[in-house]
Amino acid sequence: MTASVETGADLVAPLASRRLARLRHLDLVGLVITLVTVVGAVLWAFPLYWGLVTTFKPEYEVVRPGVELWPQHFTLENYAHVLLQTKIGLWYVNSLITSGAVTIIVVMMAAGAGYAISQLEFPGRRFFWWMILASFMIPIPALIVNHFILMSQLRVINTLAGVVGPQLIAPVTVIIYKQFFDSVPKDFREAAVIDGASEFQLLFRIYLPMNWGVTTALAIITFIAAWNLFLWPFLAVSSEDKMNITVGITQVHDAFGVSYGRDLAVAMLAAMPVAVIYLIFQRRVTQAIMLSAGIKG
Amino acid sequence: MSAVAAKNGEAAAPHVELRRVTKRYGPVTAISDLSLTVDKGSFTALLGPSGCGKSTLLRMIAGLEPITAGQCFIDNLDVTDVPPAQRRIAMVFQSYALYPHMTVRQNIAFSLSVAGQAKKVQNERALEVARILQLEPYLDRRPAELSGGQRQRVAIGRALVRKPEVFLFDEPLSNLDAKLRVQMRLELAKLHADLGTTMIYVTHDQTEAMTLADKIVVLDKGVISQVGSPLELYNAPANKFVAAFIGSPSMNFFPVDIAAINGRTASVVLPGGRTVEIGIAAGAGARSAELGVRPEHLTVVDPKDPAAAFAGAVAIIERLGNSTILYIETAVGQLIVEGEGDLDAKSGQTVGLRLNQSHARLFGATGATL
Repeated sequence: MTASVETGADLVAPLASRRLARLRHLDLVGLVITLVTVVGAVLWAFPLYWGLVTTFKPEYEVVRPGVELWPQHFTLENYAHVLLQTKIGLWYVNSLITSGAVTIIVVMMAAGAGYAISQLEFPGRRFFWWMILASFMIPIPALIVNHFILMSQLRVINTLAGVVGPQLIAPVTVIIYKQFFDSVPKDFREAAVIDGASEFQLLFRIYLPMNWGVTTALAIITFIAAWNLFLWPFLAVSSEDKMNITVGITQVHDAFGVSYGRDLAVAMLAAMPVAVIYLIFQRRVTQAIMLSAGIKG
Repeated sequence: MSAVAAKNGEAAAPHVELRRVTKRYGPVTAISDLSLTVDKGSFTALLGPSGCGKSTLLRMIAGLEPITAGQCFIDNLDVTDVPPAQRRIAMVFQSYALYPHMTVRQNIAFSLSVAGQAKKVQNERALEVARILQLEPYLDRRPAELSGGQRQRVAIGRALVRKPEVFLFDEPLSNLDAKLRVQMRLELAKLHADLGTTMIYVTHDQTEAMTLADKIVVLDKGVISQVGSPLELYNAPANKFVAAFIGSPSMNFFPVDIAAINGRTASVVLPGGRTVEIGIAAGAGARSAELGVRPEHLTVVDPKDPAAAFAGAVAIIERLGNSTILYIETAVGQLIVEGEGDLDAKSGQTVGLRLNQSHARLFGATGATL
């Protein structure tokens, strides 16, 4: 009996101190930060939720005044219409082709350019570097008219090549590669040079594999950016058969005008592959965003 | 390259030769008008403190560093402007430079792979080299999964697989702990004995140079101070720099007056007033000089001993087991003395020091040995 009482007392003391420790963690500042974060998350997530819920509402419910957080009559009619009555399959394929091409070409070109600027000695190297840095400072939309004229002169307007072309300007990717290649110790290069490796072998067998994480991160973020791009593909293409999924959204209407439910349904379908990629490669995407922001991850 | 023709040449023929080589980095001269020959099959160490230009010299032989002026010959062939891969050399780096994304097998076979050799040949050669270096169990591991010594062996393996004419080592043991360093030193010596290939080895560690090399090149500020066998450098240093750099603990130096010169002997007045006879080169002449005595050539005696050249108080005692190092404060400054392991001495004790004058050396005002 005595023994059990003692055991009970022994248990109570650490339990109380543990609770106290937990309380200490849950201080006021922490509480405020948590609350602000939760409010921020709700504000950020609500439009997504609203968009998703709308896709399951019949159109008369969508345009009805008032806020209805849940559909009264659940319907899949919007999705059925988008999948069966539009060219969404083709738009998906176009998006896949253009985004895939942009990703592969940008990563290869940037790796090559980054390597050249980082490792090779050639006249004008510094000039090229400054050019790349300068082009990074000009927002792409500011050049969109020039891009249009150039693509039109190249006779690639209204083609997938025309959609891809201006997206290949990716100075940030070159800058990131250069920084990473700069940080590879020169012993690796010299050892490979003594072993007889050419510059291409150095790039593809030493520098790129040693920075594989950067390459995958950059490839994912480039793909997502290319997939999500709207303005340029919207300007470059007018034929429905050459449209990307993002531009295709604008085509989902009928003789009676815009249907919000259908528009949002196609938007949800357009965003789905990116969301899936993000969920799978969450860590890499975060790393890439940090890299692009100039913070080495 | 006509390496085969050179192979049939004399055994003592210079294998690597630098003729009047200069290396400048902008206004800074790293190597100044340096000439050096390395014999075929020799183990030559380039020794000197950091910044003396020894690594630069090695990198110029490798072709990694362009030569500002002068020429470099390997096998009697001017390779001054030949790219590194065509010089038939292999280099082991201080950092090992093992490719982290490749296995040991891939690392060893890298040079064969870039040369487009068949996979089968690559595997066979990698295995052959791994067998020599006892790396067989680790062939499919990556460098990160290896210990320091194993990494070092992979780096040597990568050099070995190319069957080079000349091996270049750039401080290869400096990243290892003391025990492993001794072990790897023995392995390198064995490798050299087995292969008989010319090896050029850069180090700042005189023990490594003394134990491994048959010829040591001591460099100081981009110029050669002395070239010779380890014992030549130890017993007959050409100047004060070599005398101070070779040997551990370091040689003691203190100023003395020269009373008279009689042929190849100088009568030197020690700070206590005592006169000793020190051997010098014929024709040397000076009024004052510095006397250099190695710690093992000073013997602890009773301060009242008539043979005692100096007296001083023991400041620090270091017991190494096989020997005892004493730091003794004397009228000429601190002197280091190396005695027996069981030497009886106490801190603060006053002792006399006897000088073994036949091993002492005199250095003139320029630092050159008299």
